[in-house]
Amino acid sequence: MHLQDLFKLSGIAIVVIGFAFRLRTTLVVVVAGLVTGLAAGLPLFSTGGLFDAIPFLTKPGQEGIIDMLGRAFADNRLMTLFIITLPAIGLAERYGLQEQSAVVIRKLAAATVGRLQVVYQLFRVLTGILGVRLNGHPSFVRPLIFPMSVGAAEGIFHASSAEDLPEDVVEEIKAATAASENYGNFYGQNLSVVQAGILLVFTVMSGLGYAISIFSLVMFAIPIASISIILAAIQFWLLDRKYRRKATTPR
Amino acid sequence: MTPFTGILLASLPDIFFSLDSVYVLTGLVLWVFAAMTFQDRDNKRRFGSGTFWLILGAIFVFGSKMPHWMTGLLVLAMVVIDGTGGVARGLYNESTKAEQESHARRLGHRIFIPVLLIPIVTIIFASVFRLLKLDVNRGALVGLGFGGVCAMACCLWITRDKISVLMEEGRRLNDAMGAVNILPQLLASLGVIFTAAKVGDLIASGIYHIIPADNLFLLVLANCLGMALFTIVMGNSFAAFPVIATGVLAPLIIQPFGVRPEMVAIITLTAGSSGTLMTPMAANFNIVPAVLLNMKNQYGVIRFQLPFALTIWSLHVILMWAMIKLF
Repeated sequence: MHLQDLFKLSGIAIVVIGFAFRLRTTLVVVVAGLVTGLAAGLPLFSTGGLFDAIPFLTKPGQEGIIDMLGRAFADNRLMTLFIITLPAIGLAERYGLQEQSAVVIRKLAAATVGRLQVVYQLFRVLTGILGVRLNGHPSFVRPLIFPMSVGAAEGIFHASSAEDLPEDVVEEIKAATAASENYGNFYGQNLSVVQAGILLVFTVMSGLGYAISIFSLVMFAIPIASISIILAAIQFWLLDRKYRRKATTPR
Repeated sequence: MTPFTGILLASLPDIFFSLDSVYVLTGLVLWVFAAMTFQDRDNKRRFGSGTFWLILGAIFVFGSKMPHWMTGLLVLAMVVIDGTGGVARGLYNESTKAEQESHARRLGHRIFIPVLLIPIVTIIFASVFRLLKLDVNRGALVGLGFGGVCAMACCLWITRDKISVLMEEGRRLNDAMGAVNILPQLLASLGVIFTAAKVGDLIASGIYHIIPADNLFLLVLANCLGMALFTIVMGNSFAAFPVIATGVLAPLIIQPFGVRPEMVAIITLTAGSSGTLMTPMAANFNIVPAVLLNMKNQYGVIRFQLPFALTIWSLHVILMWAMIKLF
């Protein structure tokens, strides 16, 4: 491998190290881009602009790194279009969007810990399909799904309060509620054409020269989304079975 | 009707329903956020934060007209502001839980209408574009933009609140994410630079040293494994995707085997999501909830997710391989 090739890969190393050490993500990504471009011998600016007079900044016939950054950033504005939906969602939240969603979840809710997680995961897949981005751990899991799950467990273990439940059960319920949010969020969000993951795949593949349709991307996301729902349902069903057995054997 | 007005009338829908029109609308929303931020005395970094959103708004409004080098320099300026800690949150006159509950009782399910309007308008636009034989991708995005506008109008009508409150609530959500909002856009740009620097060819030739070029199953395995490992180390599947797509997926699988790009690209992304479930580096999803729920073991969420994540990751490999073989 040539030395220049090694330098080109330093951009990837910068991204990996920068993200792993929790440096400012925006800065890490742009520095990685600049370093990679310079290592590949690309000029900073294209010819024909203001920078022709300054030596070393341009090379004839090559697009500059800064020009490339600007072009790609402008072309990919579609990824940040969701900002236009924020005022409506924010105002709806002020007028009780979360509380009303909680009413719906309570109506659907089932009697066991596992079934509750399945219902919540399906709710998150639905919000994904609708293109709504939400951070469910603080807004739904902590205030709603976790207390409801503890309530369901109290019924199964014939406990009068959460303190009477075995400690490892409560800890496991906490993990299960957090996981059902992640499962529903990660695999459900690709079922909408306006979500970040789909748009990222669309723009990166377009940048590589493939003319693709965002609707077929969503179509091909369906198998994995379905598998995620089935797999999670099995995991949560096993959890219910474990608790039923545990509740009948004397402690 | 003169020919000129005829042409003008015919091109009006083109102008109105172009991506540029929704970019300009989004830019205007960002400028409103910027103006409110400059006046927010509770934001310790109000000038840095305001300038950040002002510049992003300018790129949205003028991005199609500005020379690329100027956009590039503006992006660098935004990144410097964020890199030096210049983007912060302020105060948003937030409503209390009790207020939200009493509103919820009064408005009931009607509060869902504006939120549902966004996907409905998106789908309507996409369908109309398809009927008119225009680009459906563009239709969906233009629909998202106008869906946002319709939702704002509908939400104001239902709640009878003021426009200033509407924008303040939008700013609250926008600032909650902060500068990370532009990260996907930056990552896509990084992918473009990687392609120009031929980083992908380099990784591809490296993998060819290990795996025979005709062994589809091992290439699919390397693709999904690389995606998951990069995600585990970086804690972010969106950051891993441009690297794997340019270095492995496109040169080693899509091109030589003539595979439909949509099919394998989205499966590669979710192979990364399976990695996200396993890593403490994705703190937002795995560590923060453990703290939020007062868990004894801060890795408890990851431990619960591990069997699920390993199973679904293996199914990614099998599914991708089977789909390439079948289609």
